[in-house]
Amino acid sequence: MPTRRRFVSCLAAALPMAPARALDAATGPVVLTVFGRVSKPNAGSAAQFDMAMLEQLPQHSFVTRTPWYATPRKFSGPLLRDVLAACGARGSNLRATALNDYRVDLPFEDTQRFDVLLARLLDDKPMAVRDKGPLFIIYPFDSSAELRTTVYFSRSAWQLKSLEVQ
Amino acid sequence: MATEISRSTVEDGVAASSRPRRFTLFGLIGVVLALALAAVALVQVRQFALLKQSVVYQDDYVVLSLYQVEAEYLRLREYWVRAQYERDNFDRDALQLRYDIWVSRVGLLHNERTARLMVGNDDYVAPLAKMNDFIARADKVLGPTSTRPLDVAALAALQPALDALGGPIHSMSLSASHHVSEQITERNAAVRQHNQVALALTVFLSLLVLVFGLMAMRQMRLLGERQRALVDLTAHLREAQRQAEAASEAKSVFLANMSHEIRTPFHGLLGMLSLLRDTGLNARQVDYLRTATESADHLLTILNDVLDMSLLESGRLTLSEEPVDLRDLLREVEALMRPQAQLKSLALHIDADPGVPEKVRADRTRVKQILFNLVNNAVKFSDRGVVVLDLHRASDDEGREMLEFVVTDTGIGMDQITLDRLFKRFSQGDESRSRRHGGTGLGLEISRSLARLMGGDVTAKSVSGEGSSFSFRMPLQTLAPAPRPALPHPAAAEGALPGMGSLRVLVAEDHPVNRQYMAALLEGMGHQPFFAGNGLEAVQAIRERRFDIVLMDLHMPLLDGVGATLSIRALPDGASATVPIIALTADAFAQTRERCLMAGMNDFLAKPVSPERLSAMLRRLFGGAGSTDAPSSGLADAPAPEAAPVVLDRATLDAALRAMPRERLAHLLRSFFDQGPEMVERLRIALRDGQALDLRVNAHAARGAALNFGLSALAQTAQALHEGATHVPAHEIARLIQRFEQLLTRSREACEAAGLLEPVTE
Repeated sequence: MPTRRRFVSCLAAALPMAPARALDAATGPVVLTVFGRVSKPNAGSAAQFDMAMLEQLPQHSFVTRTPWYATPRKFSGPLLRDVLAACGARGSNLRATALNDYRVDLPFEDTQRFDVLLARLLDDKPMAVRDKGPLFIIYPFDSSAELRTTVYFSRSAWQLKSLEVQ
Repeated sequence: MATEISRSTVEDGVAASSRPRRFTLFGLIGVVLALALAAVALVQVRQFALLKQSVVYQDDYVVLSLYQVEAEYLRLREYWVRAQYERDNFDRDALQLRYDIWVSRVGLLHNERTARLMVGNDDYVAPLAKMNDFIARADKVLGPTSTRPLDVAALAALQPALDALGGPIHSMSLSASHHVSEQITERNAAVRQHNQVALALTVFLSLLVLVFGLMAMRQMRLLGERQRALVDLTAHLREAQRQAEAASEAKSVFLANMSHEIRTPFHGLLGMLSLLRDTGLNARQVDYLRTATESADHLLTILNDVLDMSLLESGRLTLSEEPVDLRDLLREVEALMRPQAQLKSLALHIDADPGVPEKVRADRTRVKQILFNLVNNAVKFSDRGVVVLDLHRASDDEGREMLEFVVTDTGIGMDQITLDRLFKRFSQGDESRSRRHGGTGLGLEISRSLARLMGGDVTAKSVSGEGSSFSFRMPLQTLAPAPRPALPHPAAAEGALPGMGSLRVLVAEDHPVNRQYMAALLEGMGHQPFFAGNGLEAVQAIRERRFDIVLMDLHMPLLDGVGATLSIRALPDGASATVPIIALTADAFAQTRERCLMAGMNDFLAKPVSPERLSAMLRRLFGGAGSTDAPSSGLADAPAPEAAPVVLDRATLDAALRAMPRERLAHLLRSFFDQGPEMVERLRIALRDGQALDLRVNAHAARGAALNFGLSALAQTAQALHEGATHVPAHEIARLIQRFEQLLTRSREACEAAGLLEPVTE
């Protein structure tokens, strides 16, 4: 048993050092920059995404009520955890920064516990900056009462520009 | 005790009057409690709603939103001015981004919730209109449909309008901030108010619970008190009942004691009267004597009735069940009643259905008593015609098997009113009849009580002037084919008593008249009586001389019968200590009998002591019959061998020989065979006269004796006769009787061959 445990921990230690498959470089306008503890960067130490790269990740969507819209709206885009996995991000905290320099911290764990969406479509249409676009972190508020609190409302950063993995 | 009861009754009354008031109070408190609980629930629901509202509407968030609008406005203005100075060097995208962000911020103010919060507020409505106005104009330069190159002139033209927005936006932000803080204050006030209400309600609830608790405690205390009162009352009642029962029992016992206290001297009187008859009286004296005897007999009957009644009442009468030969019993009834019937020229028919078993378990004495009573009544109340006693099987409502004795007469009968009163105490048909026919009037009641004690009943049907029919039912208890001692043919026991010479009999009896009676009785039988006046004298006599038997009265001065028996049994001399002791008593209690046997007495002889019973008792102890009881057990009712039964069963004979001297067995066998021809004759007469009952009785007796002596073939034939008596054709019965006769001879020959009939010379 101890041998086996040691083996497993060796494996775990080895993982980050394994040759990471590099992320393709962004070809279009960069819409999201992930930096900090990123193991698969594509621009220096950071990972940059254009809209096409986000489109290529598995797409999800849900309809939920939010404090910002009077009616339930449909949000679509990749899961935040898929985006983070794509650039090999690992950490305990995410610091989200918006275009207007709004900053908020999300526990990394949130992306695992909830299907947090990096929404790029609102009602199947791209979001302009004046419509809180182009990217909007959205929690599935309607799935759990726990999420319908100010804490999670404030973690839902819109006009998202970058994520720092801490 | 009476005061106790009345006091508790008063308490109950008080409790009853205060009960409605208490219920009202309880109801009131219950309603108030329900209302208070509802109020608490309401307050909590409202608090929850308030909290939810604050979360949903995010009022404070709006303040932040307005602040952001102002901040973005200031940054936009800075970029706007820089764009005009830097002109071509300026990054148009940066200005575009700032503009878009600001527009998105303004857009948030259009949000429904924000609008609801700020509704009716001029500081909000006017600046919003101005901002929308500005955005409409600016979108021509920077909107989604604007031309690509930046029109610096247009920016400059819009500059004054942009600057003019600064003041209203700031005041809008301030106003919202104030408004929200007012709302928060209001909400806090509401929460505080709710809390106060809730607190008040809680205090109120606590008080209510306290009151409720106090009332419950009071109620419990009252309940406890009432229960204690009930327990006391129960104890009192139980004591009263016990006393009443004890008094009633004491009376019954007194009655029973008195009646047999009367009977003791009375027996002496009766005995003396019977002795007087043989002393050479003249005709007149004989007539007086007969009248005296009749009166005495009547008095004894009354005494016996009273004794029975008191025993039945006190529940101390116990039935002693034993195997009873029903036909024998009927014959006894017939033997006693026929003379009376003949005296009145009445025909008496006694008949038993063939389906009735030969033997049943029953209290022989009591069944006989009931039948005597019923037949006696029938004879008494009939002046002509016939009295019929018919025995057959029946079943009661629950399907139990019953025996039913029906006594029918053609007498005077009874009307319905008389029938209804019939079983009531001391009531006879009517007063005149009572005087005419005599009697205590207890007979029927005793009969019915006895029948019910047996699990049956006595019922009556009658038509006035046409006769009556009394039915006595008792549960049929058939005998399991268990071993049962069978006596040899009754005839064998009559006459001279073999092996019983003159006995030395000690009679312990304190009553001089009874002593004389016993002396006459014993001397008449050829025995030597000796007397002791009390228990001490009896023990002394036993120590000094040898006696063959002691007849011990139970009630004696100085030392009673039981005490004397205990002393005798404790004597060191083996022969004296084992002398047979027979209790003499008029006491009819079963417990008394048990006490006697426990003390070491051998048997029990009920007073009045008749010559027959005394001689039967002595025969049982010293004659031949009693000693065959034990070894013959198990054979009497054993099924006879089916095929080719042996004439002589050696095993049974050997058992008999172990139980009695060879000489006595030889004697018994000889007398059995000597009576053989007579027995055959009786069977033939019964066949000739069509008397199936007689046939059965005789065959049964023959079978019992034959079985005891191991005469298997003879026994089997007797059994065939017994079983076939009622339904086998006459010629077949005749053939069986002939076979019985032949087997008698063959059995005798076999016994002679075995040397069983030769007397042994000593």
